[in-house]
Amino acid sequence: MTLGNLRDLYQQVILERYKKPKHKGVTHPVHRQQRGHNPSCGDTIEITIQLSESGDRIEDVKFEGEGCAIAMASADLMAEALRGKATDEALSMVQRFQNMMQGNGDFPIEQRKLNVMQGVSQFPVRIKCATLTWHTLKAALEAPTLAKPEAFVSNE
Amino acid sequence: MAITQAKTIAAQVRADFPILHQEIHGQPLVYLDNAATSQKPIAVLEAIRHYYENDNANVHRGVHTLSSRATDGYEGARDKVAAFVNAASRQEIVYTRNASEAINLVAYAWGSTLRPGDEIVLSVMEHHSNLIPWQLLAQRTGAVLKFVELTETETFNLEQFKSLLSEKTKLVSVVHVSNTLGCINPVQEICAEAHKVGAKVLIDACQSVPHMPIDVQAIDCDWLVASGHKMCAPTGIGFLYGKLDLLRSMPPFLGGGEMIADVFLDHATYADLPHKFEAGTPAIAEAIGLGAAVDYLSAIGMDNIHAYEEELNAHLFRRLREIPEIRVYGPQPQADGSGRAALAAFTAGEVHPHDLSTILDQAGVAIRAGHHCTQPLHRHLKAQSTARASTYFYNTREEIDVFITSLKEAVEFFGDIFG
Repeated sequence: MTLGNLRDLYQQVILERYKKPKHKGVTHPVHRQQRGHNPSCGDTIEITIQLSESGDRIEDVKFEGEGCAIAMASADLMAEALRGKATDEALSMVQRFQNMMQGNGDFPIEQRKLNVMQGVSQFPVRIKCATLTWHTLKAALEAPTLAKPEAFVSNE
Repeated sequence: MAITQAKTIAAQVRADFPILHQEIHGQPLVYLDNAATSQKPIAVLEAIRHYYENDNANVHRGVHTLSSRATDGYEGARDKVAAFVNAASRQEIVYTRNASEAINLVAYAWGSTLRPGDEIVLSVMEHHSNLIPWQLLAQRTGAVLKFVELTETETFNLEQFKSLLSEKTKLVSVVHVSNTLGCINPVQEICAEAHKVGAKVLIDACQSVPHMPIDVQAIDCDWLVASGHKMCAPTGIGFLYGKLDLLRSMPPFLGGGEMIADVFLDHATYADLPHKFEAGTPAIAEAIGLGAAVDYLSAIGMDNIHAYEEELNAHLFRRLREIPEIRVYGPQPQADGSGRAALAAFTAGEVHPHDLSTILDQAGVAIRAGHHCTQPLHRHLKAQSTARASTYFYNTREEIDVFITSLKEAVEFFGDIFG
């Protein structure tokens, strides 16, 4: 089998984050929370966000969920990249990530860890796995207040 | 094709399926997603092409020659389906888009007779198509849903089923062969028990009609549904079998052309069976394709197909046991491969089914990953999702070997990380 392509997709960082995520859990306190799911495969994710006092900066992001290596690694890398970011900057990162999945551009050097997800763009059916966490984050940030726990976004 | 003892069925029929002869990522395609949909033989593709090139016209209207040919083809296919499942009358076969539509037809046309407190018995292994229509019906009528659970070996719990039955039970609707567990449910006994309390029985036969001989009279079900696309026919065509008197007693489902006798501005009388349930211009070419598929399967022989799939199944499970990380859901087959369907829904240790499917796809192997439209069953099994390899009579032992080799590589690929 052609493992070469697979090494592009399953880069070491992705496999490591899948095995040992660094940002799994729930933030304290929870200022925003959002559930997301991928109805076609059953993957689920729950994002919690701790905001700064002014509400315009992300102090911490954590995730819980069940999913494939791509979905879980993407969530873990996203959580790390968002710490300390202004909320509007975070929203522009959502767009940048989606563009990268379409094969357009990547992240600048200070956020280059996210570029390990670039290989996913070569596997169109797996893009949904990588973007689930970002869709969920976007919904969480755009909610004016703490969302009801039963509400969820779908990436379909 | 002429079936001889010398070659396996697969060896004899593979030339009939053009789609199987291609490479995926540089590797020969190994198609093991047959429980989702089957591939189509040239005979079916040619029947559709012949219809559009020579006979295309609307059915049951017009006296011109093309209309007559189209009608003959469409109704002739119904005769073939009726014979294929041994219906007592051709009027008992109603064309639908698929099994889902057939179940919805029953849920609407017959289901409106239900009253609050009436009970519908389903099982936890049902496909969403045999669950949601009844949830909707329960919401409309106040009927109550009851569920048959699994035995320790993950099969239909017949004893618990019997305990659910009472004079309140109006309907039992269960799957014949589970698309996830692969278990073959005792439908004859289910029907006999349900009929003792006066309940009707619908059998979802999507995973049985393509793979084994089906005799609706022997089963004694009240309705049976199947989808054409899982049995070598095109998408967009399936059928509902129903006992004649029962179908007669049911009001129409969809209204429109084709299903009428006399129409006035304020009322209408309806066509006799089966056309009462076939409103609008039907899927004519698809029905003719279904007839061609039935001819094709019958020429091979459903007994032969079933026996060959059991052989494949024995090989599949023997090889799967070589990989300790693999956990297959549902009952184990007998040593000769009998006792369950020739499919395996499984998990592979720490490897998520999606990742597994991507890795296998790189090796040309097509399997399903996800919940296979049985989310409640997956919840019951405490599996978020599973991977599933499902065979058909055109699959070979060599293809199963390719699948197993790739599966081992995938498990190793991830095993290095988790090891």
